[in-house]
Amino acid sequence: MKWNKPRKQGALLLVSAVMSMSLAGCGTGNSTSAGGAGTSTPEATDAAAPSPEATPAALSGKLVLYSAGPQGLADDIVNGFKAKTGLTVEMFQGTTGKILARMEAEKANPVADVVILASLPSAQALKADGLTLPYPEAANKGKLNQDWSDAEGNYFSSSASALGIVYNTKLVTNPPKTWAELADAEWKDAVNIPDPTLSGSALDFITGYLSVNGEQGWELFKNYKANGVAMAGANQEALDPVITGAKSIVAAGVDYMAYKAKAKGEPLDIIYPEEGTVVSPRPAAILKSSTNVDNAKAFIDYLLSDEAQQLVADAYLIPGREDIEASNRTNLKDIPQLKVDWAWMSEHGNETASKFAEVYK
Amino acid sequence: MSPVSMDSNRILRRAGLLLSFFLLAVSIGIPLLLIFWQSVTPDQRLDWMAPLRTITGQSLSGVLLNSVWLGLCVVAGTTLLAMPLAWMMAKTRMGLHRWIDVILLIPFMTPPYIGSMGWILFMQKGGYLQQWLPGAGALSDSFFSFWGMVFIMSMHLFPFLYLLLRDALIRIGGNLEEAGAVHGAQAGYRFRRIIMPLLLSAYGMGVMLVFVKTIAEFGTPATFGRKIGYYVMTSEIHKYISSWPIDFGKATSLASVLLSVCLVIWYMQSAVSRRFTYRLVGGKGQRSKTYSLRGGAGWLAGLYLAALLLLSIGIPYFSIIAASLMKLRGGGLSLDNLTLDHYRELLSWGSVSLKAIGNSLGLSLAAASVAVVLGAGLALAIGRSSSRLQRIIDLLSLLPNTVPGIVMVVGLILLWNAPWMPFTLYNTYGMVVLTYVVLFLPYTVQYVKSSFSQINGLLFQAAQVSGAGPFYILRRILLPLIMPGMLAGWMMTFTISVRELVGSLLILPPSMQTSATYIFAQFEQGQVSLGMAMAVVSVGLTVLLLLGIELLNSRRKWTGS
Repeated sequence: MKWNKPRKQGALLLVSAVMSMSLAGCGTGNSTSAGGAGTSTPEATDAAAPSPEATPAALSGKLVLYSAGPQGLADDIVNGFKAKTGLTVEMFQGTTGKILARMEAEKANPVADVVILASLPSAQALKADGLTLPYPEAANKGKLNQDWSDAEGNYFSSSASALGIVYNTKLVTNPPKTWAELADAEWKDAVNIPDPTLSGSALDFITGYLSVNGEQGWELFKNYKANGVAMAGANQEALDPVITGAKSIVAAGVDYMAYKAKAKGEPLDIIYPEEGTVVSPRPAAILKSSTNVDNAKAFIDYLLSDEAQQLVADAYLIPGREDIEASNRTNLKDIPQLKVDWAWMSEHGNETASKFAEVYK
Repeated sequence: MSPVSMDSNRILRRAGLLLSFFLLAVSIGIPLLLIFWQSVTPDQRLDWMAPLRTITGQSLSGVLLNSVWLGLCVVAGTTLLAMPLAWMMAKTRMGLHRWIDVILLIPFMTPPYIGSMGWILFMQKGGYLQQWLPGAGALSDSFFSFWGMVFIMSMHLFPFLYLLLRDALIRIGGNLEEAGAVHGAQAGYRFRRIIMPLLLSAYGMGVMLVFVKTIAEFGTPATFGRKIGYYVMTSEIHKYISSWPIDFGKATSLASVLLSVCLVIWYMQSAVSRRFTYRLVGGKGQRSKTYSLRGGAGWLAGLYLAALLLLSIGIPYFSIIAASLMKLRGGGLSLDNLTLDHYRELLSWGSVSLKAIGNSLGLSLAAASVAVVLGAGLALAIGRSSSRLQRIIDLLSLLPNTVPGIVMVVGLILLWNAPWMPFTLYNTYGMVVLTYVVLFLPYTVQYVKSSFSQINGLLFQAAQVSGAGPFYILRRILLPLIMPGMLAGWMMTFTISVRELVGSLLILPPSMQTSATYIFAQFEQGQVSLGMAMAVVSVGLTVLLLLGIELLNSRRKWTGS
């Protein structure tokens, strides 16, 4: 079908031209909503006039970004990138699952240039399927936490979240200190756990725990089930009943959501159990099908820059770069971690998720 | 009428049929075929047995039975709720209160997952009910069960059945019943032997649509069903299509099972309706018999309506509005925990949320208008579905309602984003309108068909004999008679597209939001109050718009007669 390629590209160009014109209007609106997260920086809101010396000469056109995770942060990063480069950015914001579904639907005619996912195994799978474009010369790559990113530069984890025990402070005065305690009678029917088929981080916790404890690790999850732990949708869906007081605790709750709600004044707090937890990295990757490779590379560079890493920290996430610290949350070095095996985890993700769902049905 | 114009008439009709078939094949048939193709070509190789293996390998019989049982129970529930109401609104003076119709559309305009959230917030442990009545714990325990789910879904879907039944009852008119009474039939006998058979065709259609809507519904199973551990086909399909690992093959195989169930129901319904369709709208004038409800009966009817409104709108909207006003979600119901900040943020000029509302309204107006023109054309082409082509068109036009929305949408993406298409509609505004039109076409088709099938053909023959041309007939006889159906279809399409979520999530161009995706995103981001405020605003706007239309419409009637 080579013959109609130019025609199609012409049409695409026309469509994208029309769209970028109509979307330019939306762009200014985004910056006001980014304030909802409470963390918009002066650079981010001042997107109108890019400073001339910051604009690399070669960049033009647009970037299509599919981003999972907190919208406020994604908006801030996009606005910061726009201000730096003057590029147009089209963003689709959703969960990891929705982004992957959209990519699958677009398989024949891909649209996205860069994806940011909330689950490392999915990025490993993208790499294994040959869908990613390596960018080994990314700026600041060396300062990244090397365990979370690909040595060949297929994906870079620019942020991470840790999983903990999130509890309602009105209902819980003496929070459990270990994962095992959640199976005690005291917490009967009071605990939620996110559904690992919907929450990449919950799956990371479960597979991570199993990769350390082997087959015996299932004891914990069976004890949970016996104690009335309920599997409750994706992360926010599991957290919500704890905020309103219908449940007391989320096991394997995402920490940045808890910090954010706590900062707002909700009766929430989080602890990281003594025996250690799993830190779930959030990888970004350039897609091989990208038609805006230079822009995509510039975006990755921006994502790893001091400025963007500070935005990450402000959003209560763990920065991907080891040299940047957050002041509003527990930093990586203070979180007890399990010695997890990522290779085993991404290999056994599917069967673990379905076995878990089977146990909890 | 000269033979020449008879021929041109027939050619016109034939061309219309072919055009309808072509349009439906492109917009509905091919996308579904592409989906089917995906399900039989896992790993790029043709494998006809793949769907069968998926179904037998997944212990799915339980889930399928869950879906069907839920569908049957909701059909029973909606019937119990809608039947008395339809009778009251068609046969008594209560029918004069036209605003009730618009108010009753509110449950239907509420996104199902928002409605369920409202009930959950109200009934859960520590929920609004228990904050008032701490002793209500037992009630809330029994609510979180299968029957609670049936209750919520019936409350959501009954307006749909009600509208169909009421229109049918109005068309039956009073003279047939009077004739029965003159011959000495008692009220019960008249209902059994006159009203029921005449109502059966409309009821059958309503039952089918309610059943299909129930088993294709995703919002309530995803929010309420997951809480009580009741899994149905749509939740399984959604799992394969939106969580890692994505498997369209499995999802489409499951979708084809769901589709077959729906086709069986469709076949049964069409058999019933072929047998029990009567031409009720003839040339003679109609008087409808109006019962006056006085004393006890009037009180009872009023109480019934009030209870219905309280349960279908009052309680869920109490929760939704309360949640939208809360400073801290953990703070509970108290005056010092209330704030209007979320509305201020939502409606601030130039905000993303305001743009989302604008997008929703614009897209829905466009989609409803296209759908009503297309749908009316199709309904007329289908006519009395006498020829095979007409039956095929009928089936095709109904398919989007029987396939879960998400499957239809994936099919549309596969087609409109295919590399071999000369132009890609995907990622444009037009794609969204197309998707809404395709998804909601069945409503207009069904509504117009149901008005059309009751028009007596003698009317057109009478016009022809009197020398009217086809366009004159169309303008002065056909259009006025099917107009109520078209209006109902337009309103239905508009209200549902405003809240359409599943398709929008997948097809909206990046950086574009509608009110539904905005709500969903706020829930995902933990800003539940902002999401609930958006639900209140967008449903409120829709209600105002529909009330306005209703007002204009009734004024037109006054001046016209």
